[in-house]
Amino acid sequence: MSIEDPYELLSKWFEAKEYLVVGKSVTRSDSIEKAIGKARFLEDYYEPGRMLFVKQLLSTEPHAIIESIDYSDALKLTNIVGVFTAKNIPGINNVGYALPDQPLLAEGKVRYHGEPIALIASWDIDDAFKALEMIRVKYKRLTPIYDPLEAMERKDILIHDEQGSNIAFTTKVRKGDIERGFSESSTIVKNTYKTHHQEHAYLETEAALAIPDIQGRINIISCAQYPHLAQRIVSKVLGIPASNIRIITPYIGGAFGGKDDEGPLVAAKAALVAYLTGKPAFLIYSREESIRIHPKREATIIEYTSGVDDNGYLKAIKVKIIHDTGAYTNRGPYILWRATMHSSGPYYVPNAWVDGYCVYTNKVPQGSFRGFGNPSIQFAVESQMDELAKKLGIDPIELRLKNLLRPGMDTITGQKLDHSVGVADLVDKLARKMEWSKVRRELEDWNKRSNRYKRGLGIGVAWHGISTSRGVPDWSNAYIKIERDGSVNVYTGIVEIGQGTPTTSYRQIVAEALGAPLEYINVVFGTTDAPDTGATHASRGTSIGAIGVLVAAAKIRERLNRLASDILKTNPENIVIRNGRVFDKISNREIRWEELIQEAYNRGVEVSATGYFYLPKGKFDDKIGQGFAYPAYSFVAVAVLVEIDTWTGKVRVLKAWPGLAAGKIINPTQVEGQIEGAIAQGIGYVLYEKLEFGSKGEILNADLTDYVIPTIQDVTLDVEKPVYVEDKYKYGPFGAKGVGEMAFIPLPAAIANAVSHALNKRVTTLPLTPENVLKLIGGL
Amino acid sequence: MKVRFILNNREVEVDVDPREILLDTLRYRFGLKSVKRGCERGECGTCTVLINDKPVYSCMVLTVQVEGQRITTVEGLVNDDLFKKIIVSFAEKGAIQCGFCTPGFILTAYALYRIKDKPSIEDILKALEGNLCRCTGYKKIVDALTSIRS
Repeated sequence: MSIEDPYELLSKWFEAKEYLVVGKSVTRSDSIEKAIGKARFLEDYYEPGRMLFVKQLLSTEPHAIIESIDYSDALKLTNIVGVFTAKNIPGINNVGYALPDQPLLAEGKVRYHGEPIALIASWDIDDAFKALEMIRVKYKRLTPIYDPLEAMERKDILIHDEQGSNIAFTTKVRKGDIERGFSESSTIVKNTYKTHHQEHAYLETEAALAIPDIQGRINIISCAQYPHLAQRIVSKVLGIPASNIRIITPYIGGAFGGKDDEGPLVAAKAALVAYLTGKPAFLIYSREESIRIHPKREATIIEYTSGVDDNGYLKAIKVKIIHDTGAYTNRGPYILWRATMHSSGPYYVPNAWVDGYCVYTNKVPQGSFRGFGNPSIQFAVESQMDELAKKLGIDPIELRLKNLLRPGMDTITGQKLDHSVGVADLVDKLARKMEWSKVRRELEDWNKRSNRYKRGLGIGVAWHGISTSRGVPDWSNAYIKIERDGSVNVYTGIVEIGQGTPTTSYRQIVAEALGAPLEYINVVFGTTDAPDTGATHASRGTSIGAIGVLVAAAKIRERLNRLASDILKTNPENIVIRNGRVFDKISNREIRWEELIQEAYNRGVEVSATGYFYLPKGKFDDKIGQGFAYPAYSFVAVAVLVEIDTWTGKVRVLKAWPGLAAGKIINPTQVEGQIEGAIAQGIGYVLYEKLEFGSKGEILNADLTDYVIPTIQDVTLDVEKPVYVEDKYKYGPFGAKGVGEMAFIPLPAAIANAVSHALNKRVTTLPLTPENVLKLIGGL
Repeated sequence: MKVRFILNNREVEVDVDPREILLDTLRYRFGLKSVKRGCERGECGTCTVLINDKPVYSCMVLTVQVEGQRITTVEGLVNDDLFKKIIVSFAEKGAIQCGFCTPGFILTAYALYRIKDKPSIEDILKALEGNLCRCTGYKKIVDALTSIRS
């Protein structure tokens, strides 16, 4: 085996007993430039009058044939350079990620109110708005369907004729024998759960700037979470080679999955105008356009039956999951797939029967949002667990501890988890630290004394598969080069969306593996100039995404160890490189990092490397939904304390106790930031946020006045320090698994369980707005 | 219309359309990119600037309204000691993630600390309730501000 074998290198660093910078709360490299307004975001590149301003014409019908688009008057305005529709697309007008069902610009038919139809290119912003008013679209209306249950039944109205059904995609799991499982169960609970859409409401809306260059290439400043995917989509739409398209990514003002779906399409629209006109073209979504156009968190209906035996062991589950995917599947099939394969929760279930349906309706599409199909199903799972515990008369934590997955057990898909399964330890540790039983007892006493206000304590425990689902290939890569002065450039496609991956953890990983001073490490992120790194999604930036960074750095380090051993006349094993000091631990002879790098250049030692790593995966049988689902799982548990005003129906989260089993924690402050942010976003989702749809399927609250995200007054600031179980994963960098999505996933379950505990009534429908809480109490 | 005002301690004059908003004037005419466009209807606070030391949403102000007023953005505060103290605390406490809301938060906090050395938690929450952040959950922002109370 070669000394630069990635498995060997990963395993060598996995075994590290002490760390220089990994595991420490290193400050982000971008903080000060962001604070003083120097950090560039997308709109900061726009210069009015010097580049085209692009405005989108959106559909005002939910389901209609486009009979004609007349923009002749608009073209008479002085500053209008062109109006472009589907017929101007030189390549393929199909941008569906999972299924080929979605056009970049509507072609023949519109399927939701807000669907982009045309692009107006103008030298002047005001004229772009004027032109918008002057374009006349003639529609022939078709009957719309908004209810996914109705859409599943109807054969006479098809949202996509070519599909022959409104059911776009189905999934299943068949494990064991559920009839036997239920016959062995002494307690059975059955409920139907409903969850709603969520708008990402990242504070920076979507934008892109496309600039043609003299060689016929197009450079795109993009907000996509996966630059190489944006490159592929643009290539397809324009019909030009990917090598002629260069994507660069500035700082992104929040994404949460929304810019994974929409980002490449924004890039493609700007690129289309730039390609057709030969001019730089800037497209920005207004807040209203952003909310109307881009895909949302899944809205679901979940029927869930579970059975336990006398001893409290789960025997069987039967689950039906319906996802309202809206007008296009976008990533809907992947979202449904993830929901299906996580539908047992992190528990051992011997017998399972699960059916999933991804259903078209004439509404805004469903898409990627922190948790990706998992928060809704974990809400159902964890509600079931609390109901089972209640019926059995045992504590909810006790029931969970009996059933949680442990190393050596197999998942709902029959995949044996041999290591990195810290969930039972995590729940046990969290419950002890927060004194779960004591807090719960005290609350029950408090409630006896309190009439108007009721308090409750609830927990949500969840799991989340790392990497892409099934055997779908996933890999990692990065390119690192050390410059002659000893400074280091790291090239990655991973983007900076606020999570701090390129600005903290990559610098830490490279400084750790090379031994160079942290401040010497510069990360060039979000660029197609880097090898295809995969997306910044699925909590993979510091997990899968960082494997390539570590492998590349570790390869160079092996070479530097050998070089240093030559210079210092010792064995490579005796070389220590730490914070820029290079020494032989036997003789203590020492040189400086800069000298070592200079010698590397002088003696012909290559100080650049790529870190390609192909993640080993197993086989999955789609016919029965059994096999290898994910290479590893991160686990999370969050307990929350709520108080309910039973007169007004208002719920407040007073305190949260998070816990995480995500392998090695690379940067505790950044991980806390992800957890605290996810808790606030979860509180928003469960208590405040809801899209309202009008009679045309249009979003009525497409602004931040009526779509209410939490302010500083609406969240709890009392979030305990997280409990960590570092259940390291063998292929993760230093054993790290994913973090970004985790704390959101159990939040709907935790809050719903806490409210159910306080009111002694089962919550089955979200959100828990005052109106819905009063209905639950029986006050409305 | 010609409008004169003090921008980051410098007297400036611009000729603007009466319906131009201050946000666009600052971004497009003066290149002040710290003033972010978030919602354009006075909800999110990313476009916050100080007008005569008070935090104001620049998307809700017409440029012609600021005749003779004193406008401050973070670009104008880089040498200010209180400002430096706030930004260092934000950086050290991990109060900055995507950073899009950050200049707005810092200006609002700066305005509060200029009038109160030792604001209570309630003062801080009240002052910042008009600035939205979707990343941090606000906890580390409050930590950053409570830790500099003198």
